[in-house]
Order: sequence, then C-alpha cells, then structure tokens
Amino acid sequence: MNRETVIRVENVSKCINRGRPNEVWPVRGVSLEIERAQCVVLKGPSGSGKTSLLSLIGCMSRPTEGRILLHGRDVAKLPERFLTEIRRNTFGFIFQQFNLIPGITVKENVMLPLYPTEMGLTEIKTRAERLMKKLRIYERRHFHVKGLSGGEQQRVAIARALINDPEIILADEPTAHLDTRLSVELIEILKGLKEEGKTLVIATHDPLVYEQGFVDRVVEMRDGRVI
Amino acid sequence: MIKHLKILEFALSSLWRRKFKNLGLIVVFSLIIFTLSSIVFLTYSFKREAVAVLKDAPELIVQRLSAGRHEMMPVEYMKKIKDIPGVGKIVPRLWGYYYDISTGGNYTVMALREGLQDKISLMEGSFVVGSGSCVVGRGVADARFLDIGSIMPLIGADGKVRRFRVAGIFTDESNLLTNDLVIIGEKDFREVFRIPQSIATDIVVQIYNPTEVDNIARKIKEALPDTRPITRREILRTYDTLFDWRSGMVLTMFLGAILAFVILAWDKATGLSAEERHEIAILKAIGWETSDVMELKFWEGFIISSLSFLTGLIGGYLHIYFFGASIFSPALKGWSVIFPEFRLVPYINIYQIAVLLFFTVIPYMAATIVPSWKAAITDPDVVMRG
Amino acid sequence: MILHPGIIALLVGSLIVLALLLYGSVLAVVILRRWDIKSSSEFQLGLERKTYLVSTIMSFVLGFEVLAIFLFIYTVDDLHRQFVGAMCATGSLNANPVGWYVLYVKMLLFFISSLWIGINYVDQRTEGFPLVRFKYGMLLLVAPLVLVDVYLQSRYFLGLTPDIITSCCGALFSKEGGGLSSSLSSLPVRPMRYIFFTVLGLYVLAGLISLKRQKGIFRGLMGIFSVIVFLISLASIISFVSLYFYEIPTHHCPFDILQGYYNYIGYPLYGALFSGTAFGLLTGFTEILKKLFPSLEKINRYQRKWTILSILFMVIFTLISLYPMLFSSFTLEGY
Ligand SMILES: Nc1ncnc2c1ncn2[C@@H]1O[C@H](COP(=O)(O)OP(=O)(O)OP(=O)(O)O)[C@@H](O)[C@H]1O
Ligand SMILES: [Mg+2]
Repeated sequence: MNRETVIRVENVSKCINRGRPNEVWPVRGVSLEIERAQCVVLKGPSGSGKTSLLSLIGCMSRPTEGRILLHGRDVAKLPERFLTEIRRNTFGFIFQQFNLIPGITVKENVMLPLYPTEMGLTEIKTRAERLMKKLRIYERRHFHVKGLSGGEQQRVAIARALINDPEIILADEPTAHLDTRLSVELIEILKGLKEEGKTLVIATHDPLVYEQGFVDRVVEMRDGRVI
Repeated sequence: MIKHLKILEFALSSLWRRKFKNLGLIVVFSLIIFTLSSIVFLTYSFKREAVAVLKDAPELIVQRLSAGRHEMMPVEYMKKIKDIPGVGKIVPRLWGYYYDISTGGNYTVMALREGLQDKISLMEGSFVVGSGSCVVGRGVADARFLDIGSIMPLIGADGKVRRFRVAGIFTDESNLLTNDLVIIGEKDFREVFRIPQSIATDIVVQIYNPTEVDNIARKIKEALPDTRPITRREILRTYDTLFDWRSGMVLTMFLGAILAFVILAWDKATGLSAEERHEIAILKAIGWETSDVMELKFWEGFIISSLSFLTGLIGGYLHIYFFGASIFSPALKGWSVIFPEFRLVPYINIYQIAVLLFFTVIPYMAATIVPSWKAAITDPDVVMRG
Repeated sequence: MILHPGIIALLVGSLIVLALLLYGSVLAVVILRRWDIKSSSEFQLGLERKTYLVSTIMSFVLGFEVLAIFLFIYTVDDLHRQFVGAMCATGSLNANPVGWYVLYVKMLLFFISSLWIGINYVDQRTEGFPLVRFKYGMLLLVAPLVLVDVYLQSRYFLGLTPDIITSCCGALFSKEGGGLSSSLSSLPVRPMRYIFFTVLGLYVLAGLISLKRQKGIFRGLMGIFSVIVFLISLASIISFVSLYFYEIPTHHCPFDILQGYYNYIGYPLYGALFSGTAFGLLTGFTEILKKLFPSLEKINRYQRKWTILSILFMVIFTLISLYPMLFSSFTLEGY
C-alpha cells in the first residue's frame, strides 16, 4: 500500500478572541499525520476540540500558530479565497447537523456546492444523479428536504459532500442524530468510501464508530491536545 | 460565465422561496418608480407637445406693453415694422380670453386671420368661419356638449348674447393649444369684445432669414420702445425651463421618499432572518466563496430592482397615456378648467429610463452593498459549531 | 442654475458614489497601514474580508461611471434648447466651458476604475496578494478624482443660466473656427482616413502578434498603442467618421450620433472604442506591473483574454465606422 502523507499537522494552535477576556484555545499544539486512504477517528469528550481541529484541517478556518501541510503545501496562512478553492477541490464535509437548505429539492441541495464553479450544469446533474442512485435517494430527488426522514437527510448530506469527488472526507459526529440502525447504515457507507480509496477523518465519541475494523487509528483529544 | 448563470439561477430560486418577504419591498419600490415615471412621462409629453405646437407658431410676435402690462396695439405700428429690412409679411392678430359662466371654463377666443386655416389641419367639419359661425376645440365642445351645427352662445361686452353656429371641431386630442380654442370671424370678434378697427391684440411678423430674428427683434424694440418682440425660440425655451423646473421641483421633493425607501431597503438587507443567515452559513461551509455570496446578493437585488422597475414603469406609462394621468388630475386642474380631458401621445425614450434608473435603482443598489457584504463574510465554520 | 431631472439625477448619483468611495478610502487607509499577509491574526482576516467590500464598491463606481457618461451627454443634449445658438450637446457644453472638463474627468474615471478592477482581478487570483499596497494606493487617487468630478459637475450646472448665447458644433467644429476642435474637423479627410485605419490595423496586428508569441514587449506596446488609437479615433470621429452617419459633409458633431435619429449608432460605436481601449490599457499596464512584482508571472492567461477582448472590440469599432463608408451612397470625396 502507498504510504503517502496527505495531511500533516505541525504544532497547530487555534486561539479565539485573542487578547480579550473571553480568549479560548480550542486547539493547542496539535501534531498529526494522516496518510492516503487511512481512516482516522478523533475521539474525546465534549469540548475537547475535535470540531475545531476538523475545521482547521478542512481549511474552514486558519490556525493561529503552526503549519498545516496538504500534500506538502502549507495552507495555514492562505487567504480565504484560496482556502475555499482548496476546500472545494479536496474536501467533503459531513456535518453533525445535516445542514441542508430546507426550501429546495434534494437534487438542488446535492448540486449546490458546484454552483460557483465553471462546471457545466449537465455534468453536475450527471454526477448528482449517480450519487443519489448510489445512496438510494434518487426516488426522492424532487422532494423538498423538509419531508425526508433522518436517514434520508443524512444520505443527502453525504451525497452533497461527495459531489465534488473529494479526496478527503471529514465527518463531525456523523451518528449523533441517528438511531442504531441508521448509524450502522452510515458506517457501511463510510466503509465503502474508504474502500474506494478516500481518506477519512471522523470526529466522534460514539463507540459504534471508533470500534469498527476499518478504522486505522484513533486519536484521543482532551482540552485541545492530543493524548 | 456558466458560474454566474448558476448563481443567478440560485438567486431566482431563493427569492422565489421568500417571495412574501420580498413582496413588500417590491410593492413599495414599484410604487416609487410608478410615481416618478408618471412625473417624468407627463412633463416630457408636455414638453414635446409644446415643441410640436410651437413648431408652427410664428417666428416673431410683437406685443405692446403699457406699465408692464400687455396692451392692445394700434394697427399703425405695422407701418414702422414694415420699414425694417428683412421683414416679410405682417399680420395683426386678435385674440382674448372668455370666461364662460355656465361651464366655468376659460376659453381662448381668436379671430380668423390669413394663414390660420392651413396651419390647423386636424379637424372635423369645415373651416368656414363666416359671420355667425365658429370653430371650437375639443375641450370646449365637450364642456358644452357641442356638435357640428350646434349653437355656441357668447355674451358680448355690451351684455348681449350672440349665437354662433359650430362649423368645425378640432380633433387633434393631444393638442394643448387648440383644446380651449374658439375661432370666430374678425368682424364678429370686434363686435363681441367691442374693439375698434384701428386696434389689434398683437402683430405677427414674418422674417425671411431665420438667423436674423434676434437682430430684427432688437430693431423693432428700438423703433417702437413700448413694444415687446417675442421670438419663438424664447417661448420654446420658457416652456422647456418651465417643464424642467416643474419636474425638477417634484423630483427634488421626492428625494425624501426615495431616502425613506433606501433606508427601508438597507434595513431589509441588514435584518436577515435566522433562516437566511443559516442558509448563507451553509453555502459558505459547502464551498461558496465570499464573492460568490456577494454575487448571489447582487443578483437578488438586481432581480428585485428589475421587477419593480418594469412594474413601476409600465404602470406609469399606462397611467399617463391610457388613464389620462387620473391620479394627478386634481393637481393639474389649476392649469385650466377644461384640461383633464386631454390625451397625450405615448412617448418613451432611453433618457427617461436612465434618469429613472439614477433616481431609484442606483440608490437601492448602493444601499445594499454594505449589508450584503456583512452577510457574505460569515465564517464558513459556524455551521460546525451548531 | 437650471432645475432639470437629469441634472438632479447626476448630482444625486455622484454624491452617492462619492460617499461610497470615501468610505472605501477609509478602509483603504486602514488596509495600507495594517496589512500583513504573513499574519494569521483575526485582524488580518478582517482586513482581507474588507477587501471584498472595497472591490464591490469599485465595481459599483465603474458601473455608475459608464451610465453617468451617457446620462451626462444626454442631459446636456436635452438642455440645448435653453441656450441661444445651441443645437446639440456641444452647444450646451460651450454655454459653460467647465462642462468639457466634466466630460474629460468622467472619461478618466472610467478608464481608471476599469484599470483598478482589472488589477484587482489578477491580484486576487495571485497567491500572496502582491498588489495590495499598489491597489489601495491607487484607490486613494480615485476618491479625489470623484470629488473633482462632483465639484466640476456642480459648477457646470450651477453656472448654466438660460439665455446664454453659445456656439454649437457648427461653429466649434467648423473649419473656419479657431482652436483644437476646429483643427480636428479641418483635418484633411484623406490622410486622416489613412492614419485612422493604419493605426487601428497596427493595433490589431500588435495584439495578434502578442497572442502568438508570448513576448511582453508587444503587450506593453498594446498599452501605449491603445491610448494613441483612442485619441486618433476620437479625432477621426469628429473629422470624418461621424459625417458618414449624418450624410452631411459639414456636420462634425461627436454627440449627435448618440441620438435615436441615427439609430443610436453612437452607443455601440463608443462602447466598442472605450471597451477596446480599456482592455488594451489593462494589458499594457499589467505588463509593467509584472516587471515590478515578479510573483505576477502567472497572469499571462488573463492578459491573453484581455488582448483577445481588446482586439475584438476594436474590430467591432472599425466595422461600425467602416459600414456607412462602404454601404452608403454618401461620399466625402472632394471635401
Ligand atoms: N467560535 C468560538 N467561540 C467561542 N468558543 C469556541 C469557539 N469555537 C470553539 N470554542 C470552544 O473551544 C472548545 C472546543 O470546542 P469544539 O467544538 O472543538 O469541541 P468538540 O470536541 O467538538 O465538542 P463536542 O463533542 O461537544 O462537539 C469548546 O470549549 C468551545 O466552547
Ligand atoms: Mg464538535
């Protein structure tokens, strides 16, 4: 197997409200290496900084200190415009809340991430249809997301995360709002993605997830640090 | 390119989802554009009408002034004018105002003179104004329910009623100058108003070379110091200034309304609902860039303005040209009692649209720049923190 | 002063733009003083976000100036009846010569703001934003220019009183008159026509060569050339191009072609000329910037796009000017 490092986090800290009384450090001095097609789980109690670390890795926010190397390129100090571009090309996000837009159809929700790109609508549609078929929501494509069940909504969110054909998938507490049956279903999907060669980073404290066989590594966090 | 179209499409769909929220804004915006475009259309039409009418007006008219007021003019003045080189034909005019007690209307009564027939072509009936017959404007005919062959009575200066048979009626509905006109024969005119033969109201002077007009006007003024020569250009300019000034005044007064609207638009753009904020945050999280969200907001503003602009503009157009400016008519009544009857010739050009754009869409767009920027810079990771 | 809807619209619009630009300038000063691309502080992030606001304001200014030039000419044209001797916009401008400066300043504003937007476009797509200081320094020059514009415009309109006796295009652009304008119209048609088409041809050629071989020198040439083409084209429009549209051998007016009577042909004509010039200027100007800021090396593909656009617009301009010469029976031979 190819042991290429995809993400390398070097001594990264994140500070919020610096210099003010409500200053917090959700992430402190974290170093981490993630290899291609690995599945890494970030585990830790609530408030330990999992979400914050995930958003740093996913170029959602910039670290206050340290470096984040993506395929060897330092992205820690890039302006937002470039971060967004990297995010659009490299990452797929599965959020704790599904974060779907209620008034529009399933299909539109899935296609939305590619709107601000130069990709043609037909190409986007083909991609969306393929993904919706794969995730068994194709029959629901013209429904508004409000009427969908929790599991269906989760699958729409996953389809949306995959529409840009990302290399790395970041999932934040993906089973938090699902019952056991649906969680198992989700885990199957994640497993399938790993088999396709995607790199997975999952933040969770759900044993159902981190005790799975396909998880290569569990990173424990506490108070913003890796232990 | 495709990118912009896709964002535009999303803007359309997201406005459609919130149509009731934006409806109020669109209605107010449309109303403002409706009012402004009505004003602009109305004044423009007046202006054009005046220009069209005065195109046939005499190049130079000479009136007599006494103590700064218009006085009747001795016909012998004509001789002195005739001596000035470059002057062509000279014709005296007889006209005056007549207050009609029974309708409360004010008419312009004019004596028939040479050259009047061929200038006013649009009429039904005939232009035979012999003794005891007359030609009237549409407004007069409607006010008095006159038809061809009916009788139009005029009360003379001596208190006696004189009866005139209507020989013709002007049909040119849009013509502001014929609307309140009554034309009778010269002899009848002198009788009704008791004006001696030696006197006219004013004098029309024909001039061979149009570039000489100002020069000749000056010479007339020198030769006859108690007269006032009025050139056609001068009248046109006065009309222009008057109408520009009127619409300018009204528009200036409207700046307050526009300002109020701009504040409303600003407030709407600033006070996003929690749902809208969440939606923008989702867009940012799934890979939309700040400038993409700003573009989305721009398109939304663009659609709202275009929609309101078209609605207001078409409304204003219909209002002025098909409903006779019915909303404004109380304000216009001061112009003349028989005025509300007029119909204007539809007229619209790029300039009017550009002026209206400057008054409405540009302030609106400017007001939404900062709020949409504020909305667009939402942190992309807020949705991760619930 | 004449109270006219167009005048009020222009003044109100300019004031709005001025207010926005002043706000933008305040932001620009902060950015100039505190910008530090290497910092990952929240303050720097805030500044980066403010750049979006400033670029939007500048886009608004550009859009406004484009509209304002036309509205200004149109308003001035509409006013001509108020002045003795005026037959079109030229007469109204002569009624208070400040008007000409208003027109020049507006044109300058158009070119500067389009240049700014072009520079901003490449800068935002270059890692490290090398042009930030340059851009915001330049922005601080735009605001005073708008101030000058507002001032001159107000002075022009306030100084207009009806009854001014003025001279119009007939006199201004006549061969007998004095000054630059009449020398423009008395330029001999035949050599002028050669110069016009030669310069346009050379410009397109330089553009095509710069597309073929990626040499900076040709792009630089395009920048300088575009200014020459612009000036010669304006002179030519007055000297002979407009005459073909009017079909009157003595009517040298640059404004009448904008009127409906001539099918609004002036809009595409000037639109193409101004756009072609702006894109040419941008190509040349960014070439100079590339020498000063080595990290801009990657902008070649944008310059390529601009070059193509510039050539395209100039060709459209040429075709529109050429059309009546080829297809109308009117001829200037002998004048
Ligand atoms: N924008 C912010 N403002 C204030 N505090 C913040 C912010 N972001 C993170 N924090 C704080 O940083 C700490 C880490 O938060 P984070 O969301 O990363 O934890 P988590 O491990 O994901 O917790 P959970 O399991 O509850 O999701 C928390 O104490 C949180 O309150
Ligand atoms: Mg969390």
